[in-house]
This record gives sequence, C-alpha cells and structure tokens, in this order.
Amino acid sequence: MENEIFLIGLNHRTAELHIREQFSLSSYCDSDTWPIKNDQVIYESFILSTCNRVEILAIGNKDVENLIIDSWASAKGSTSSELRPYVYIYKGIDAIKHLFSVASSLDSMVLGEPQILGQLKKAYRKAVELQKTGSILNRLLHKAFSVAKRVRTETSIASSAVSISYAAVELAKRIFGEMHSHSALLIGAGEMAELAALHLLQNGIQKIYVANRTFSKGRELALAFNGIAVPFEKMTSYLGESDIIISSTGSQEPIIHAKDIESILSIRKNRPMFFIDIAVPRDIDPDVNTFDNVYLYDIDDLKEVIEENMNNRQEEATKAEKIVDEEVAFFNDWLRNLELQPTILSLIQRTERIAHEELDHTLKHLPNLDESQKEALERMMIALTHKLNHSPLMFLKGSHMRKNKNNAERISLIRQVFDLDRQ
Amino acid sequence: MTSPEVSTIILFIFYTVSTILAIFGTIGRNKKLKYGSCIFAVVAFLFQTILLINGFHKNFISGLSVGAYLQMLAWFIILCSIIATIKLKQILLLVFSAPVCLILFMISSPFLKLMINIPSTIKTSFYMFHIGSLYISLSLMLIAFISSISFLLIEKRIKHKARVKGVLADLPSISNLDKISYISTVLAFPFYTVGLLNGFFWSSSLFGSAISGDPKEIVSIFIWFCLAILFHNRIAKSWKGKKPAKLTILIFSLSLFSFIIVNTAMNSFHSFIR
Repeated sequence: MENEIFLIGLNHRTAELHIREQFSLSSYCDSDTWPIKNDQVIYESFILSTCNRVEILAIGNKDVENLIIDSWASAKGSTSSELRPYVYIYKGIDAIKHLFSVASSLDSMVLGEPQILGQLKKAYRKAVELQKTGSILNRLLHKAFSVAKRVRTETSIASSAVSISYAAVELAKRIFGEMHSHSALLIGAGEMAELAALHLLQNGIQKIYVANRTFSKGRELALAFNGIAVPFEKMTSYLGESDIIISSTGSQEPIIHAKDIESILSIRKNRPMFFIDIAVPRDIDPDVNTFDNVYLYDIDDLKEVIEENMNNRQEEATKAEKIVDEEVAFFNDWLRNLELQPTILSLIQRTERIAHEELDHTLKHLPNLDESQKEALERMMIALTHKLNHSPLMFLKGSHMRKNKNNAERISLIRQVFDLDRQ
Repeated sequence: MTSPEVSTIILFIFYTVSTILAIFGTIGRNKKLKYGSCIFAVVAFLFQTILLINGFHKNFISGLSVGAYLQMLAWFIILCSIIATIKLKQILLLVFSAPVCLILFMISSPFLKLMINIPSTIKTSFYMFHIGSLYISLSLMLIAFISSISFLLIEKRIKHKARVKGVLADLPSISNLDKISYISTVLAFPFYTVGLLNGFFWSSSLFGSAISGDPKEIVSIFIWFCLAILFHNRIAKSWKGKKPAKLTILIFSLSLFSFIIVNTAMNSFHSFIR
C-alpha cells in the first residue's frame, strides 16, 4: 500500500471571504469535531484554518481527496459539490512545495508577512496534541518550519516594512539609529499615528508627548503610551524637545509652518527632526523638508516607500522559491527513501538469518573451536553478508536517485530475486 | 628580525585577505565576511606592532625609507580605526580602512629602499611628533571622510524619499555617521595643529623663518584654516549634517592632494620621491 501526501484547501485567491467563512475549520480542531477520521485510508491529518486559508494535509492511500472534501463539506453542513469549485488539490511533491511556500509566506496575501508561521505552528501543536500526525507529517511540518526560517535568514523577504506605521518607524531608525535616547510628539489621535507611536514605543523610544485638541482624550492616549499629555496650543514649544513628530489631526490648514522651523532647529542645535504627516489635508507645510537636518514624509511618501518595499519583497520571493524547490527535493528524497526501508530491512534480516543458520550448522562440525575463534567466524559471516548486500542496496537506492521512475518495479524485482515475500 | 621585504609581503597578504573579505562582505551584505575582514586587519596591525616594538624602525631618527613611511601611515590608520570601531561600535570603519591600507602597502613596496635623508639639525624627537601627530590627524580625517561620504549618500536618499537599499542599507543611521565624523574631525584638529607647529619650529631652526613659502606649507596652512572653520562651527555653532560633511570631504581631499601631489610632483621641501 503506497502512502501519498495530499493537500486540499482554499485560500484568499480561490474563495471570497464569505466562502472562507462558510468553510472555516477554526472551531473544528478538537478530538470530537476533527473532520478527518484517521483510519485505514487516511493515516495522518493536519488542519490549518486562518482568515485567509483553510488547508487539510493528509497522508493516505491513493484518491482520498474525495473522502476529505466530503468530510470537510459535511462537517460544515454543506455538500462537496458546493465546496469543490473553490478548492485546490495538491499531491505528493506539489503538496510538499505548497506547504513550504505557505510556511515561508510566499503564498500569503501580504508577501513575507510573519503571522502565518505562528499560525502553522499553533495548528501543528493542536494536531500533535490530538495525535493526528505521524512520522511523515511530523517530519514534513518540522521541515516546513525550518524552510521558513531559512527563507527569512537568507532572503530579505520580511525585512522591509509594508505598513504605514512600520515604514515610519523604519525611516526613524534610518535617521536616528537606536531609539532609546529620542523622544516623539504625537499630534492628534488618528489610528495610524497611534500605531506608529506604539511601534516607536516597542522600539524603545524614551519619551512620547501627546498633543490633542481635546485635552482629556490626549491624556487618555498619553496614559496608554506611558507618555505626557501637552496642551494643543503649546504644541510648538514641544517641537524643540521632540525628534520624531507624528501628526494626524483633522485640521483643514497646516498646523506646523516652515517659518517656525528655523528657530526650533536653533533651539535643538541642529539635531535632526523627522516629521511624519499622516493627515489629509496635510498638517505640516511641505517646505519644512527644505531645511537641512529636517525630514518630512507625508502619507503619499510613506505609501511609495511601502510600494517599493513590496516590489523588493517580490524580487526576494524569487530567491525564496529557489530555496523552497531545493528543500522540496531534499524532502522528497527522504520520502522516497522511506518507501525503500521495508525492503532494505527485509533484505538485511533475511541474509543475516541465513548467515546465522549456516554458522550454527558449521559450528556443529567444529566442536574444538574456542570462543574467540567462534566470534571471529561470526564476524566474518556478518561482514560477508554486508558486502553481498551492498550491490542490491545500491541498486535500490540508485533507482531512487534516478528520479524514482521505476521505484516500485525495482523494489518488486529485489523482493522476487531474494525471495523476501516468503513467510 | 624580519626583513622589510618579507614583512611587507606578510602584511600585504593580510590586508589583501582583509580587503577581499571587506569587498565581498559589503557587496554580498554578509556580516560574517565583514567581521572576518576586521579580524585580518587587526591581525595585520598586531603583527606590524610587534615588528615596530622589536625595532623594525630602529633607524627612525637617522632616516627611514619612503615605503616605511607609507607603512607607518597604514599602522596609524588601523590604530585609529580599531579605537573608533571599539568606541563607536561600528565595524564599517575597519572594513573601509583595510582597502586603504592595502593600497598603502602596494605603493610602499617599490620604495622600501628609497631612504629619506633627514638633515642632522632636525633629528630630534620633535620630528617624531611632527610625523606622528600629522599621521594621527590624517587617519582621523580618513575616518571622518568615510563617514561623511556615507552620510551624504544616505541622507540624499532619505531627503528625496528614495529607498535606502543595497550596501547603504547596512550602514549606520545618518545621526551615527554624523557623530563619527564629528568626533573624528574634532580630534583631528588639535593633532594637525601640533603637527603643523612642529613643522614651523623646524623650519624656523633650519631656515631662520617659520614660513618659507614652500608649497607644502601653503597647502598645509590652507587645510588648517578649513579644519579650524569646521572645528569652530562643529563646536560653537553646532553644525550638523550636510554642511560639515561636505567640508570634511573637501579637507580630506586637500590632505590627499598635499600628501600625494605635493610630496611627489611639486618642487617642495617635502617632495621626497623626486
């Protein structure tokens, strides 16, 4: 009975959100509700269910995909004909490749996003806990984790920011380096500005001032960031103390003017300033950027940075795909080698058994041998079997090296020649 | 005692390996190769230091070859780079200094036997101070130059909203680059001043006048003025960013002109090779 890896799933490319919601298996991951029954046909199973994909990985006999689709659809109170138009089915090497691509975030909506690996690990822990995985899936998933790690280490697929707030923090680091000795001023309380402030805080920024038209809201926000609330009217006097200024008010006119900057720079002894204007209409006069040691990025500039970073991730994805292909080949080799194991074991056991039988027979005719002589004879017999086994074993492994074209035939040939199926 | 030729070959090999690792590490953005480059540069420095301690340049006062002078400059450059790397925690300086030292060793090898005869009247310890302080100053200016060039390249991209990518992405932040340049130039100025004053002192004792109109003197005084402007504005007017970076590059370029062109191609008291 030959084992095969199956991967059946749907994702953000094949199914709209409401379909993904309909067939989500996120609440079907305990022992009672696990939709795939491990039995004589399916030996191992694993379920990954996130907001962007639902995937079932299984080890079973040939053609279990229909069984899996039926079980999945019926678990969700639907029919396989309803589910089938949205699913993709991968088998064998294609299933391995898809899994490695998913783990490496090459199949994600946002290329290189880090969450998928965590989700995959969590799903794996659950499957192990429920004893749904076996030797092949355990090895396959561990390999998927290591491939994802390799992709992250050897490519820059995840190194550049693809969100406005991360891009702003990355730029701040490019200007100031370590954040520990710097301070920021948050003007207004837009969601993106808050996120940027949060990322700055996570990167160790020393102090955050918050200026909001409604002082109480500013104080609330300052409390959340462990910062200091300052009156909106006195905001300009805090510019001198702030290295990073994030503005996102609803003002129709600029609130920071280029003419104010010269005196502020003089107070700051020309220390650099980084203005992040996320407001529309803009809060900061664009001429601010003309001053030396002052850097201004508005929402469009940050979007451009993100776009460029996305293109860069796309370029890095090509490198990552090569790594995935390489690792798929390694894993496939291991898998094919696994098929040979029973035959290899049978061959070794059979030849060693014959050797021992013959040895016992011979020793009966040589009663005067002492223990060391008997041991030497035994060693010689074992060495002889190893040497004789070498060629057939190489023949078996050699067939696997030749891309496994006649793997089953060669296994059958060896079994026949050495009479391995005789009880 | 290792002969100058053998030691030059050994150090040349060290700096070649260091430079190759620096180039591949920088282009390939490989930290391990960059660290490897630093290790080879430090090993070369230690080897050269041992040679110096063991009297490699025991005839320092009575005369030293042009090649040996260039090798001494390489030693000072690596010394300053090691200190800066440790203090500022930036391997960039050592990585970029190794190729400069390799060039100095390449140039030095044909001139190992070309002796510079120092007049007996100025064979004093002041002479050592003159060379030593000017070499330290030049080494510090090289560090400032590397930082300033890096600063301008990255700053321009940030200012014009272009992505900082490739080799530049591995360099320190622009604030840190400006800080390295600041510290280096502020330290270079007093050393340069001491070196220059020593020169005037000898000139005075030798020719009866501190300034004799020698091209080297004129260029050196001009460099000193530029360095003084930079020093004053950095300290008193808190100059930061592009302006000091550009002035630093100008000063280092003038220093190179003085070191290479004036010393070799012009009719000067310092034109040793001619």
